[in-house]
Amino acid sequence: MVDVPVSCRSREYPLFKEKDVKILVTAKRVEDPESKIKVKPDGSDIVREGLKYKINPFDEIGVEEGLRLVAKHGGEVVVVSIGGKEVQEQLRHALAMGAQRAVWVNHTGALDQMGVAGLLQKVVEKEKPDLVVLGKQSIDDDQNQVGQYLAEYLGWGQATFASKVESLESEQEKSKTPALQVGADGKTVQVVREVDNGLATLECQLPAVVTTDLRLNLPRYASLPGIMKAKSKPIEELTPEKLGVDVTPKVQVVKLASPPERKAGIKVPDVATLVDKLRNEAKVV
Amino acid sequence: MADALPEAFLRAVAEGFPADFLTLEPSELEEYGRDWTRVYSPAPSAVAFPRTTDEVARLVKLCHAHRVSVVPSGGRTGLAAGAVAARGELVLSLQRMNKLGPVDLLGNTVRVQAGAVTEAVHHHCAEHGLTWPVDFASKGSSQVGGNIATNAGGVKVIRYGLTRQWVLGLQVVTAQGEVLELNGALEKNNTGVDLRQLFIGSEGTLGIITEATLKLAPLPGRQDVFLFAVPDMAGVLSLFREARRAPLILSAYEFFTDKCLERVRRHRKLRSPFDAPSSHYVLMEAESKEASEVEAWLGSLFERGLVTDGTLAQSPSQASELWALRESISESLSATGLPHKNDVSLPVAALESFCSELEAVFGARYPGWEINLFGHIGDGNLHINVMKPEDMEKAEFLAHTKAADHAMFELVSKHRGSISAEHGIGLLKKDYLSYSRSLAELELLRTLKRAMDPLNILNPGKVLDV
Repeated sequence: MVDVPVSCRSREYPLFKEKDVKILVTAKRVEDPESKIKVKPDGSDIVREGLKYKINPFDEIGVEEGLRLVAKHGGEVVVVSIGGKEVQEQLRHALAMGAQRAVWVNHTGALDQMGVAGLLQKVVEKEKPDLVVLGKQSIDDDQNQVGQYLAEYLGWGQATFASKVESLESEQEKSKTPALQVGADGKTVQVVREVDNGLATLECQLPAVVTTDLRLNLPRYASLPGIMKAKSKPIEELTPEKLGVDVTPKVQVVKLASPPERKAGIKVPDVATLVDKLRNEAKVV
Repeated sequence: MADALPEAFLRAVAEGFPADFLTLEPSELEEYGRDWTRVYSPAPSAVAFPRTTDEVARLVKLCHAHRVSVVPSGGRTGLAAGAVAARGELVLSLQRMNKLGPVDLLGNTVRVQAGAVTEAVHHHCAEHGLTWPVDFASKGSSQVGGNIATNAGGVKVIRYGLTRQWVLGLQVVTAQGEVLELNGALEKNNTGVDLRQLFIGSEGTLGIITEATLKLAPLPGRQDVFLFAVPDMAGVLSLFREARRAPLILSAYEFFTDKCLERVRRHRKLRSPFDAPSSHYVLMEAESKEASEVEAWLGSLFERGLVTDGTLAQSPSQASELWALRESISESLSATGLPHKNDVSLPVAALESFCSELEAVFGARYPGWEINLFGHIGDGNLHINVMKPEDMEKAEFLAHTKAADHAMFELVSKHRGSISAEHGIGLLKKDYLSYSRSLAELELLRTLKRAMDPLNILNPGKVLDV
């Protein structure tokens, strides 16, 4: 047996690939926070004209983490999105980042979390990934439910809010143990998650569902060659009917309303005035 | 501390203006006495906050009568100390005059007060599918009056030109306190010398701009934001040659070096945009005419080795992130050290030889110093920022850079460039004006100043000495 020099035993790039992993990642289309969101006067919806869209940032983090896992272990990242044909933009973005192929569930009506999880369940059963990675929530309605529903529907283990302590991609950060690690035997995944009093590490049997927190990684920019290559990568079209899922919503949106507008702050000249205002106007001290 | 204002002047102000019109508060004096240059210590005698043109005119009349010097003041984002009050002047802040008139959809114009913040004008017009295409990093603070008084440039000059192109009418208060209405909202007005142009770029030395009728442009179509890694300065310029001929309408072509990026990353806690570092980066914003043609063009850039890496923003958020790399440079340099700033422009064709000759000048003058280059290279505009070495005293540093500036400006002059592309002259570049203006020009400028402001009360000592 050849003795491998220690310097070659990089944890990031092992000499021998341990096991190919197949990862399914979601890429929801959400309103870009650069757009101004306004509620329609009748409260039925938000004003859609002129809105710009992007991948849900938590999902984008999921794509990045998937790509890093596949770079380490081999395998493929399949990205899935549900919506009208415009969601292909977000799928192309994920493909440009490096995902191998995409699944598009063509559906334009309203959906609730059970509908989304139901559709994803069928896609998972068809694709048979080792891991499903979802954003912990989407930044449009911030519900934080689909990952948990999906794990329940599939009867799989779940590890939510995968996270690292620092958000910076410093050299230090890069050399740290990733928050998501597939075991050497390819049968388990270890997930670091943030909890109230620190970090907890979970171990799940594969296949499993993992949801990503904001601080897991910083997603890469799609390279220009990647963007061009993405145009010829396959996108498979499915529908709720083809998947045999009844997506009639059980949850209905009754009304949308803007939060009350914040009043402008005031400047106070000194601490005494501040204390006086806190005591006598705000009555909080 | 500066000399106090004459008693009689203060009494007249107290009688003729609202109670909150004038402040002598030290913290306000400190704040309103300076701009983004940090070279001069602020020492104004007072700060006035008029709300109307009439108040400005009456105040200037009083100043004229009492010989009180006035520094007109906008968002104070200038980088040449044009809005600095270091010699006991009265600062006339236009910030309360920030009203925006209705957008004229037939003439594509809008009338605004001078204190309107640039970005507020953008938002106001965007609702009607129009924009005032004067755009730069400090748009959230800079004000229309200051933009016009300095004929501001910015990041979209390559497509739209300078502020001068986008001003139809001006209302100006003269040194004598007279109100001039110049050109109204007319696109064409061929009735002799256009006085409006005298005030645009005058840096507050000839009059105080109180209102303006701005010319608007249709909001451009979808803008693609690209970031490229290129090997060197020659690469920045050869990519620009290509971009000029590409099937694109360029609205920005900006470059910066790895040293700038390093400072930005340190200050803003950002990550590197590409896996492999590069020595030069280009940020390009453009409207694509035909997507497939643009793709073929992009592909050819890699094939021909013109770029080593590149990305295209996939969403408005990503576009903002890429822009932040360029727009945070100035702020990051000041936040992480003391930069000595120069802002020169050259004929684009002369940039390459200028840059290589500049290396020789810097090699001799600043051995081992950190020099940060960035700018609107598509307009021939180069920002050159020399950072103070950590272990050097500020005074020694400033003396050193002053000497080196002469050598650099010789070079600028030789290539028929300008010693101030868009920052203006203010106090900072006054001593170097003769590198860009002939003696005859300077004499004519002095004659103008003497005729229009004989008592020299408007921004005295800025641009040139009378």
